Amino acid sequence: MLPPTIRVLERGWLSSNNILCLEAEGATLVDSGYLTHAAQTLALVQQALAGRPLTRLINTHAHSDHIGGNATLRREYACRISVPAGSAHQLSAWDEDALLISSGHQQGEPFDFDDTLADGDVFMMGGLRWQALAAPGHEMHALVYYAPAEKILISGDALWEDGFGIMFPALMGDEMGLPATRATLDKLAKLDVRAVIPGHGPAFADHAGALARAYQRLAAFEASPERMARNALKALFIFSLLETRRMPRAEVGPHFSRVPVLREISTRFFHQGPAAVAERIVAELVAAGVLREEAGDLVPRGVHTQ
Amino acid sequence: MSRVASPCIDHCCLDDERGWCLGCYRTIEEITGWSESSDAERRAVLQRIAVRRTQSIRHVAPDNPRS
Repeated sequence: MLPPTIRVLERGWLSSNNILCLEAEGATLVDSGYLTHAAQTLALVQQALAGRPLTRLINTHAHSDHIGGNATLRREYACRISVPAGSAHQLSAWDEDALLISSGHQQGEPFDFDDTLADGDVFMMGGLRWQALAAPGHEMHALVYYAPAEKILISGDALWEDGFGIMFPALMGDEMGLPATRATLDKLAKLDVRAVIPGHGPAFADHAGALARAYQRLAAFEASPERMARNALKALFIFSLLETRRMPRAEVGPHFSRVPVLREISTRFFHQGPAAVAERIVAELVAAGVLREEAGDLVPRGVHTQ
Repeated sequence: MSRVASPCIDHCCLDDERGWCLGCYRTIEEITGWSESSDAERRAVLQRIAVRRTQSIRHVAPDNPRS
């Protein structure tokens, strides 16, 4: 499905995929995973480079699961780093609130970058010519990268095989959030694509099918903001648990009250307080089998408790 | 076309001594090669990690009377 110069290092949910584009005498990496996984990200990239230096690192958007390895990779390779232009200010100021790090109970490490990419930019990566395209919705400054000759789309969190990333802007009160998401799907639908490399999950060929599912999901959220909020709270809570690996059930209410993003979404979309919302969210996750309870602690499914 | 799903559980931490990821029990080579592997190759990896898992469980603390 992909040319041999494009290597997808498929990760999980806490770390984004790392897409390594090999060149004759170097390579470009798209997105660097989460901070706490940086040592493993480095080991994976090192192995996949097969002796080449990492010459450039670019990001689809400035979320903790996509930029967490930037500082580590910079230290190791002194690679050129290019970030989405709209995020440049937040990143050079290292605004942890705007980056949803402190406000979102996530971790990150500041890094130096050299330049920016913006909508309409054209550049070479992995021996192919790519276009940077603005893809606001999940994040308002996000970019996707499209190689028209090979019909490959690196979609970040704007489009997954089944859905797209949490709609933070809409949830945090940006009224352009939902319209921007729809406009982005419309833009992606016009591209001639035969391979999509999403920010999470395996690369896939069925661009049209993914878009159909994404439009359905968006329509459901447009019809029910409360459903969008519940979905987001579940995803955010699971993300935290992927990192901490367990949480006493009794701490969940205080957690939702304390973490600014959780508190704000709970307060904005529900009439009950954050603690009551938290209880409901946990009950739904346990009922769905995504979380299990063990000796009073909540543990995500699949996490080994040894 | 269903593909064998990745065993990643988001605990990406390398066990330097054993040479595999503490979360999914794959080696670095197995992780980087995963997306290019066929389903048959992936099932072979899953079989190997199942063996590594049982080997790890046996390595409990030496003063554990149950080991």
